[in-house]
Amino acid sequence: MATKKKKLPPVFEILRDNIVEHSNPLALNAKELSSWAKGLDLPAKGQTLYYTGGEYQLLPYIDSLVKTLTYVDPASNIFSWLMEARKIVNMTGINAEKIYASILAKDKERYFSINYQAATILKSLGYDLCYDGKNEIYSGALLYELGFWKDLKEYAKRVAKSIEMTEAKTIVCLSPHAADMFKNVYPTLVDFPEVEVKTFIEMVWEKRDLLPQIDYDKPVVIHDSCRMARELGISEEIRDILTSVGVSYIEPIRNKVWTTCCGGPSKMLFPEISKTVAERRINELSDTGSKKALISCPYCLSALQSGIAKDNDFVLDDIVEFLYRGYKA
Amino acid sequence: MSDLDLSKELSEYTKNLNKASKDPNINRAITRAVKAYRDTVETTMERHPHTPELAEEVRQIKEYSMKNNKELLERAMKSIEKNMGKAFYAKDKAEALRITNEIVGTGKTVVKGKSMLGEELQLRHSLEESGNEVWETDLGEFILQLKNDRPMHILSPAIHVPREQVAEIFTEFFKKEIPPDIAQEVAVVRDFLREKYFTADVGISGANVVAADTGQITIIENEGNVRLCTGAPPVHIALVGIEKLVPSFLDSMKVAEVTWRYAQYASPSYVNIISGPSKTGDIEKVTTYGAHGPKEFYVIFVDNGRTEMLNDPTCCRALDCLRCGGCMYECPVFQVTAGHYGRTYLSGIGSVWTSFVEGGVEEAAPMLYTCLRCGRCVERCPMKIDVPTMVGELRSKLVSD
Ligand code: SF4
Repeated sequence: MATKKKKLPPVFEILRDNIVEHSNPLALNAKELSSWAKGLDLPAKGQTLYYTGGEYQLLPYIDSLVKTLTYVDPASNIFSWLMEARKIVNMTGINAEKIYASILAKDKERYFSINYQAATILKSLGYDLCYDGKNEIYSGALLYELGFWKDLKEYAKRVAKSIEMTEAKTIVCLSPHAADMFKNVYPTLVDFPEVEVKTFIEMVWEKRDLLPQIDYDKPVVIHDSCRMARELGISEEIRDILTSVGVSYIEPIRNKVWTTCCGGPSKMLFPEISKTVAERRINELSDTGSKKALISCPYCLSALQSGIAKDNDFVLDDIVEFLYRGYKA
Repeated sequence: MSDLDLSKELSEYTKNLNKASKDPNINRAITRAVKAYRDTVETTMERHPHTPELAEEVRQIKEYSMKNNKELLERAMKSIEKNMGKAFYAKDKAEALRITNEIVGTGKTVVKGKSMLGEELQLRHSLEESGNEVWETDLGEFILQLKNDRPMHILSPAIHVPREQVAEIFTEFFKKEIPPDIAQEVAVVRDFLREKYFTADVGISGANVVAADTGQITIIENEGNVRLCTGAPPVHIALVGIEKLVPSFLDSMKVAEVTWRYAQYASPSYVNIISGPSKTGDIEKVTTYGAHGPKEFYVIFVDNGRTEMLNDPTCCRALDCLRCGGCMYECPVFQVTAGHYGRTYLSGIGSVWTSFVEGGVEEAAPMLYTCLRCGRCVERCPMKIDVPTMVGELRSKLVSD
């Protein structure tokens, strides 16, 4: 049977090519992605590898890309121009960051510094971290999601090498998606280094008694991330951590393994549906009466943010930002 | 064979999805339905706490049955023939329609119960093309037949049509004023269809499960329309997917109970068990067929891509699907778009089924990419069908071929 020729949406090819050629979905460069680590002096090698995967760093750019996808007619020139950003990167050597120009400095600052805050918290709990910003590459989760598994198998070798170079025995992932890739996906696809994979939440949970108390007298509501709760089986840990730092919490109507998706996974292809799903989840969270939700996944943070109406005073904190309050006080 | 421009397909499909997500009728209806589903399932499970354990047993029955499908099919066909019914095997849609049309003929009146397989085969359409008058007797499907619309949920096909709209449709069809009052809407259809059941030449149904050892088919329902469809006309044809086969009658009862429980019923109003044509031996002990019920009983087992699904190491377990509909209520995308996220088969599990029985991964592509892969359906599913992993595999198949 003759196979059909397939033309995929441009965003598929762009993301794939960027990951395969630039080790990052938006072709952002390693220097930029690791800029948050300045001043922390983390060694490039060590037992415990701190892994960001550049994921929080991607968020402000993804938002601007999504805005482009949502508001610019796919048939227009500007759309194809934006979709060709990668080629422009190759031709002119201009940073991709300059192309995705409509990023708010404030967003960028916020998402980049979550990496810094998480590393600071882990260090304060006594973990000796290493971080190889120059060689750290994206986890490859999007190749898996979009179905580019052939590319993923090749890419996995590079991820494996970048981890081996650090000589780490444990990887601490900030994003549950990266942890899921390392723990559940790669071992089924390739010969992946035998390292212990942990999330930031688990590392903090183990030493939660050492966390500083947090002065926040209203209850927060917890949004469990799908990957964290269902694939990684982590949900009680978040509750324990909050109890430890003296903060009360409320559960939304759907939580833990029954948590409601933030809508993030369809942000690229179905931005409007993604927004509607996010709005509904925000309603579930704010129906508890709490004014603040705690999030433990970069994509949830970004997706849910777009579900909050302008005049709504409901606030999302990454759990990293929230725990960091104890260090600022 | 034409090429696939996924970009273009997605663009049309996305417009439709976006529109659905802003439709206040869908929004109102699904919000109500989701709440009702969750509440009822919770109380039902409290009343019958053995259900999850029974579901686990059914998972094993299904696994065994699919591994031994060929053998069970042979056994079931023999059992049906022993019961004086007639059994057929149709390898694909064309064959299933050919066999059904040959039995029905032309110029007949047909009353039909709800069947997903019937939708997959576009059975009503085919019988109408052959010159028959066909009536959907499930209330939801009857509404959709008049509205010229397609089912938006596998159990509550007209989930998206509120009573006001039903009243408008009925007023036009019955040519008299029908108020937006549910009881009156139900009554008018009841009167209309009652006459059809008793004048129909053929009744058609699906089946929820089939026992290979006894050849008995089981159909779960609440309205009572299936009793009439399968009991009143002189001919009954049941179309059944080959995945519905289980070894024994007892197994089939277990499957049935789990199915209705997760479809939010403590107990459905009716469970129809049919093994053969109606018969009597009351006069001189001479067995005579067609006493009160059908004289002829036909079962058509349909493959149409199911064996291919069975041969796929990841997706084969999608054949365990009981069509309880639970996963759809928990799907965040289905909750805002209803059946617009799907074709015949809806939502995540539907994208897997579409990939095998309705045109391959190319046809299923927009659906496959709509899935969030969030995994909440797996929590709900009595068969623990790992839809996110299957969707991942099928996406990979789609882009890498
Ligand atoms: S996939 Fe599971 S939950 Fe969904 S309809 Fe099938 S059996 Fe029910």
